[in-house]
Amino acid sequence: MSKDLKFLVVDDFSTMRRIIKNLLNDLGYANVTEADDGQTALPMLQSGNFDFLITDWNMPGMPGLELLKAVRADPKLAKLPVLMLTAEAKREQIIEAAQAGVNGYIIKPFTAATLKEKIDKILEQRASAA
Amino acid sequence: MSATSSSLREEYGANVAALASALEAGDEERFCDELDTLVRRREPALFSELRKLTSDLQAALDRFTLDPRLLTLAEKEVPDARHRLDHVLKLTDEAAHRTLDLVEKSAPLAERTAREAEEIVELWKRFRARNIAVEDFRRMIERIDQFLPSTRADMEQVRSNLSEVLLAQGFQDLTGQIIRGVMQLVAELEQALTSLVRISRAEQGAQTQSESSGSLQRGFGPTIPGVDNGPAVSDQQDVDALLSGLGV
Repeated sequence: MSKDLKFLVVDDFSTMRRIIKNLLNDLGYANVTEADDGQTALPMLQSGNFDFLITDWNMPGMPGLELLKAVRADPKLAKLPVLMLTAEAKREQIIEAAQAGVNGYIIKPFTAATLKEKIDKILEQRASAA
Repeated sequence: MSATSSSLREEYGANVAALASALEAGDEERFCDELDTLVRRREPALFSELRKLTSDLQAALDRFTLDPRLLTLAEKEVPDARHRLDHVLKLTDEAAHRTLDLVEKSAPLAERTAREAEEIVELWKRFRARNIAVEDFRRMIERIDQFLPSTRADMEQVRSNLSEVLLAQGFQDLTGQIIRGVMQLVAELEQALTSLVRISRAEQGAQTQSESSGSLQRGFGPTIPGVDNGPAVSDQQDVDALLSGLGV
């Protein structure tokens, strides 16, 4: 059931999108779509019935933080789980992301185990909140 | 007679005549005196030229140093860029070695599996053709007994090595972000240098961009050892601690 979740992976580097997509497939999540920045991702999210968003921060066009804010501001998407996966490691940035309503934050370089752990944690919180 | 030559004659005529007559007379002392007088006459003009040149030079230097963007570029960002590129070198080196290590570890496992399977295949073919001695049949069963669990273990190891190879490719994203940053710096440097050239031609003063203030929103890119961008977390544990403190 939870393995049918529909993921959107947003990163401007196609190598990183492939890596995340492969890792998600390894974890059993086969339904993964990609976008290369916030501007492309937002309309996809608004029309696509996604269950989970994994986004980079530093991207041309619309950065991940702005995408996160746009998602939280959209009543239809406000509750979408958002996991930030980024090289941005400044304390004030992590605090800002938390205040903007991020559900998890992973800094690059990361491990497959960390990705699994954070996704599981977010999904558990969803399940117990529902 | 033109006005210039008459004023020249008025200014220098007497001196030059005295100089000429001293030379004619072979009076060295008087000749040197007259020459000194002539040179001294020229000095004030020379000094005022020199003063003007000096003040022009000073003004140009002031304009160079007054451009604060250029200062940060030269004193901080260019040395930083060297650190950044060093870090790129390190990341690509690590990723390449990591990948090569994993390939070297995986290849023998795959080879062993293929070799053992081939040995079993020969016996298996004879068994399927009902042309196998009891001894060989027993040997085949023993081989299969060993082959199945070791293959499972080996292939699990290969699968996990492949996952790590996959992750090692993350260097492309990290180094790409750093290289983009350095490219931006080079573009800014080019602009600053163009402005300098313009100043040195005594044309319009430099136009410099103020440092982009939107970095916090846009992002800084990966943390680089030796390049300080302000307080940053050092690993995932730090992030987790910070977030749990914030209730995420």
